[in-house]
Amino acid sequence: MARFLIRSFISTVVTMLLVSMLLFFLIDIGGGDVTVKILGIQATPEQRESLRKQLGLDQSTVTRYATWLIGNDWWVPVEYPIISVTNIKTGENEYWADVNGQATRWMMEDGELFALQRQPDGSTVKEPAEVWQNDSKGEIFWGLNNANSAVKWVRGSGEVVFIKTAAGIREEKDGPSQYIPLSKGMLRGDLGRSMRTRRPVAVTLWPRVRNTAILAFVAFVLIMPLALFLGIVAGINEGKPIDRFISVTSLAATATPEFVSGVFLILVLGIWLELVPPVAVFLTDDAIFQNPEMLILPLLTLTLVEVGYVARMTRASMVEVMGAPYIRTAIIKGMPFHRVVIRHAIRNALMAPITVIMLHVNYLVGGLVVVEAIFGYPGLGNYIYDAAIFGDFSAVLAAAMITVIIAIITRLLGDLAYTFLNPRIRYS
Amino acid sequence: MTVTQPILGSTLPKRPSAIQRAWESFAIVFDSTVGTVGVAMVAFWISVALISLVWTPYPANATDFIQNESPTLTHPLGTDHLGRDSLSRLMVGTQVILVKTRLPDELFGYTLPFGDWPMPVGVAIWGVLGSLTLGSLLGLMAGYQGGWHDTIIMQILDALIAFPRIVLYLVVISAMGQGDLVVILAITITGAPGVARLVRSLAMDIKTRDYIRAAETRGESVWYIMFWEILPNARGPLLVDGMLRVGYAIFAIGTLGFLGIGLPPPDPDWGNMVNEARPFIFVTPWPVIWPSIAIASLVIGLNLFADGYREELTRYQK
Repeated sequence: MARFLIRSFISTVVTMLLVSMLLFFLIDIGGGDVTVKILGIQATPEQRESLRKQLGLDQSTVTRYATWLIGNDWWVPVEYPIISVTNIKTGENEYWADVNGQATRWMMEDGELFALQRQPDGSTVKEPAEVWQNDSKGEIFWGLNNANSAVKWVRGSGEVVFIKTAAGIREEKDGPSQYIPLSKGMLRGDLGRSMRTRRPVAVTLWPRVRNTAILAFVAFVLIMPLALFLGIVAGINEGKPIDRFISVTSLAATATPEFVSGVFLILVLGIWLELVPPVAVFLTDDAIFQNPEMLILPLLTLTLVEVGYVARMTRASMVEVMGAPYIRTAIIKGMPFHRVVIRHAIRNALMAPITVIMLHVNYLVGGLVVVEAIFGYPGLGNYIYDAAIFGDFSAVLAAAMITVIIAIITRLLGDLAYTFLNPRIRYS
Repeated sequence: MTVTQPILGSTLPKRPSAIQRAWESFAIVFDSTVGTVGVAMVAFWISVALISLVWTPYPANATDFIQNESPTLTHPLGTDHLGRDSLSRLMVGTQVILVKTRLPDELFGYTLPFGDWPMPVGVAIWGVLGSLTLGSLLGLMAGYQGGWHDTIIMQILDALIAFPRIVLYLVVISAMGQGDLVVILAITITGAPGVARLVRSLAMDIKTRDYIRAAETRGESVWYIMFWEILPNARGPLLVDGMLRVGYAIFAIGTLGFLGIGLPPPDPDWGNMVNEARPFIFVTPWPVIWPSIAIASLVIGLNLFADGYREELTRYQK
């Protein structure tokens, strides 16, 4: 048992590493030029090149993968220790250099460096800094700028850089000659920064994950008892009309894509019967708490698609168990039928569906992407979809990684549940 | 009593031809009602696709002045928001899925010599063939050769299976752009791990049989044993799996089309038809209803077909 646990743990870790590599390199090799999307098609090649450097895209893929996985705040060539401080206004983490206990960043003006010293109230005090170091190419300094990057300045020769702002693209002189965007790395809980907004992915992602978790959880609670019940009823009545009805209906519901059933539900319940609002507009990430009736249509759609699958699994397993000799024995010895079913059949029949259910979380997540896209639900699926369409590398990566981690962990739980439930399998 | 010896080759029943045998092994599906219904549904859509190659009521992208029209005599299924005939678009929508694949003008920098000629057989079928081929190769190597082959291959497949399928599609398509070949690739990659697991378990079972031992003793190569001894004996379950996968593929193509990242224009795509007509659902529901029914019926048909076939197959094996 212990050996089995250790083996499945190691295999899980290896799987996750492989997945992250696959994801990273797949997006990296194929991904188009994200700078075009961010800056718009009017941007000049110089502006795009400048943004590429600011995003750290000029580094090699392997370096960026390592940065993404284990972070780079401990090996960038900045000589001061890097600390992360919470910004009082935005609540986001920022990186500062710890210069003798004083959180400091730097900026360049007319070829000279100034230190920005952080005060306890969040404001900064600007002071001239004498930090230049001699290098073969002149006087340089590696420090932190105000966009959470480690940057290299060269004395007297600031580069021309283009900075994307809400109003447009701003040209600045006195820019650094090299950027390394700082990250703590996935393994240390940093999901990275969105390339589109330059804000931490986590800030926008976690509310989405929470919304999806609510939807998935409610759906799960609705679907599983219903599906198990239908499957058991069909399995007991194998071959009878009720079994045929349940089997065919669940097959039809499962084989119908989510967007088809979703649109049909909108049509029937929303437009013809006017039972629920046909259009739900989720203005904020918290909208589902303000009017929960918006959850009805997404839930029904998910239920329609997912119930059939589990019901069919349960039916198959129930049919198999009902044909077993010990069930026949129990019936022949005069045990009431309902007791045979509840006591002997269900307990054995549920073993297979429970593992399948855990595996099925994977499909549930897949279904969620589509359902969220149909109904504009502010969840993880919609987030991945938007990010993938935009080509926001780090957001896709973070969100996809979360879905994969959820899928792998539930699968591991399924394996464990199976081992736990089935006394014949001990794997040792 | 004398026993008349039959003369070889004269009275022995002739071994049926390959086509005949293939048909006979296929025809068992007609013993099951469910399977027959499934075959009929699939056959209906295939014939629609073939008919649409030579004839449609209107050109698929021709617009009429009457938009968002309910079914009438001139437009039996109505028109969409641009006044295009729904019946024609529905018919042409089957083509890219089932009977033709549009090749790009150039691939990896080489200009393809076919010009405007599409490849026969649709995207769904090529995708499934791709995943069956790749999956069988990996599954046979893992199942028959075992050892470190098995460990490495299964680890990679585990990683691929861990992706929610739609996320994998999104990643592949956002990485490589839209196109028929990209959709085929996406279906291949997402389907292969499942096929490989199935083939692996079948291969592990089959490799203990005597005829494999015999082939090994004869000194046949590993590849010969894998593809000529094991694979043909795994064809039953593989066929059922393949049919189910065509269903999944059509399901996926529809979903991708609905999300706006599926098969590219100009040919109509069922999923995209639903997506385009959805904003006008308050005006007329018909342009949404037809492609929805089409996708659902084709996928359900394939599922019924596969179910019926599996039922009969296992019955004969018992």
